[in-house]
Amino acid sequence: MTIPSYSGLQTALSGLEAAQAAIDTTGQNIANANTPGYSRQSVNMTERDPLTIQSLSNVTGAGSQLGLGVDITSIGRIRDQFLDVQYRGQNTQTSGDNTASTLLGQVQAALAEPGSSGLSSSLTQFWQSWNALGNTPTGQGGAGALQAVIGAGQTVATSLNTLGNELTTLQSQITDQYNTLTDPNSGPIANDANQIASLNTQIAQAQVNGLNPNTLLDQRDQLIDDLSQYSNVNVTTQPNGMVNVSFGNAAKAAAGGTTDAAPLVNGGTVDLTDNLTDANLSGSGGTVGALLGLYDSTTSTGQVAGYLTTLNNITSSLVTTVNNAIASADSSGATAPPFFDPTGTTATTIAVNPALSTATAPYTAAEAQAAGGLSGGAADSAYNAFVTQIGSNVRSTQNAQQTAQSLLTAISNQRQSVSGVSLDEEMTNLITYQQAYQASARVMNAINETLNTLINQVGAGI
Amino acid sequence: MIGRITTQMTAQNLLANINQSLDRISTTQQELSTGKRINQPSDDPYGTSLALQLNGQLSDLTSYSNNITDGTGWAQTSDSALSDMTNAVQRIRELVVQAANGTQSQTDMSADASEVNQLIDQIKQDANSQYNGQYVFSGSATSTQPYQAGSNDAYAGNTGSVTRTIGPGTSISVNADVSSVLGTGQTTAGQPAGDGKLLNTLRNIVNDMQSGNSTALSGNDLSQLDTNLNSLTGLSASVGATVDRLQMASSRIQALQASDTQVLSNTQDADMAQTEINFSTQQAALTAALQAGAHIVQQSLMDFLSG
Repeated sequence: MTIPSYSGLQTALSGLEAAQAAIDTTGQNIANANTPGYSRQSVNMTERDPLTIQSLSNVTGAGSQLGLGVDITSIGRIRDQFLDVQYRGQNTQTSGDNTASTLLGQVQAALAEPGSSGLSSSLTQFWQSWNALGNTPTGQGGAGALQAVIGAGQTVATSLNTLGNELTTLQSQITDQYNTLTDPNSGPIANDANQIASLNTQIAQAQVNGLNPNTLLDQRDQLIDDLSQYSNVNVTTQPNGMVNVSFGNAAKAAAGGTTDAAPLVNGGTVDLTDNLTDANLSGSGGTVGALLGLYDSTTSTGQVAGYLTTLNNITSSLVTTVNNAIASADSSGATAPPFFDPTGTTATTIAVNPALSTATAPYTAAEAQAAGGLSGGAADSAYNAFVTQIGSNVRSTQNAQQTAQSLLTAISNQRQSVSGVSLDEEMTNLITYQQAYQASARVMNAINETLNTLINQVGAGI
Repeated sequence: MIGRITTQMTAQNLLANINQSLDRISTTQQELSTGKRINQPSDDPYGTSLALQLNGQLSDLTSYSNNITDGTGWAQTSDSALSDMTNAVQRIRELVVQAANGTQSQTDMSADASEVNQLIDQIKQDANSQYNGQYVFSGSATSTQPYQAGSNDAYAGNTGSVTRTIGPGTSISVNADVSSVLGTGQTTAGQPAGDGKLLNTLRNIVNDMQSGNSTALSGNDLSQLDTNLNSLTGLSASVGATVDRLQMASSRIQALQASDTQVLSNTQDADMAQTEINFSTQQAALTAALQAGAHIVQQSLMDFLSG
């Protein structure tokens, strides 16, 4: 057997086809250079099975192998699954820290400290006004001083009311946000899970047909990335190409090796009822975990609830100490009226005793001096500690958020380094494959000329 | 560490760095515009706590300072009233000494008696001195007039004290108990009260002058008047001491205010020079990042390929 006359044409054709596929893939990569979630693709090529020709080696008699060109085996994505795991873990951490830092920042903004509009400033003015009343007791000039005390007391009460209301509003905002995220019908978690399940089905179908569904895989990875901002995720790949996604505390357990009996996405099905529960999400990471850490409406606990409790304690202590100081300085036996309404001992209910009237001059100099003497006392230092505590919490959350953000950027860069499109690289590939295409065409031309010589020149004399 | 550098990575890193620069600049700008280093508790939780404490202390110091001003006014009013009384008593003593040598006619003695009566009214008026609408000599019953004009010498005030807080846990009594010197006198004209105090003595002197009793004037009346004058001077001295004490407290509080304000400023105010320098440095960094970005993002291999 000799060399087949036309095999060279086929070889050149396979080179043309391979170069064209590579140019097309380069085009696809360049087109998607900025598409979120896109993994760059490459054409996997192998040498085509050679043809053994006996007559080509008369010396050994074993013959020689003649190459027949190139085969395109697949067009694959370039992606590192381990970086995906790292990225999602860090994404969970970062979104949780973002949420906490934003909401705690709102608590801090509500304090308006340090400044002239915060409670601390109202309190100092309150004590000063008592002191002024102590200098001008009953009788002449007392009515104006008492009016100043009542006014300053109302400012303190209003400051506490506002602060209490803002914390309460924040709690309901947190609950609303949590309910929106975990809404089983239209919430983003349910949405992501449903799309992942549907992609699972399509991917399994495509793989049965022997296809490599790069686009579907990219979309699914992107959805899992998105899901990871809400809480922890743990992905296990099935032999049929589907993935099971565990969510929340179940994902944390699954990462530790415990099998998740009811994953959020199980092949083509979605299990929301077992996963979007307080028990599964409380204490987990991500936005949802952070929201529950700030305020859990089921148990009425959380960081913001703790702040509200502290604020209520401060209020109650303020009401009691002021009223008691007045009562114990009351030497004449004439019962002085309480300054703060004794029934309002929480931040939202504190109020100046509405029965107080400037006409009756209810407080003696000693009583006013006793109330003014509370300046810098328990109420001030408790509030001071409260502000410091919130400040420290906000600061540490902000620091954690910044660290998490830069780690996320680093991991994202690593992932980009593997899967991202480099235009310089694509341009180089483009030149390489364009040259390959031109060379294959030149080969084809050469063979054509050879055959032309053979067919037209050899038989011309006959 | 990273093998491939992709276009998106470059762009993302550039964006992240520019954002960080902008964030730093915005913080510095806030410091510059407010002049404060601490604009929210998280900027420096410990510093915030210190600032709140110092603000409270400064407010207390203002209160003490107000109290001292008020107390000083009170004590100075008392002081000038008491020295006026002392002058009146000394004039009476001159009259008593003149009358006591027995050379004056009864007409002169009667004229002396009516002058003493007028001086008694003046002394009682001094005892009714007011500061800021309050009677300084009626104990803690500051809205009650201590002595009535005329012959009724009853003391209507009490012996309670008026205190002002002049420091943490430090109170000072700013009023003087004038009834311990003037006494309650005679409740009814002509009736000796016998408490031996100033008003009682003066009423006795008037009686003795009117009756021309120069023996009593030179004897018991004069020695009694000297005793009373002594206690009046003593009271005046104690009020003077109160004024001194208040002034000392005032200068101490001013020193505290100055040092607390200094510490507060160090705690919460931005170091303007340092902040300005930071601002310029950050702005330079941002400009450099933007310029580099303009070059990096623009250039790729395509710029160098022809055709």
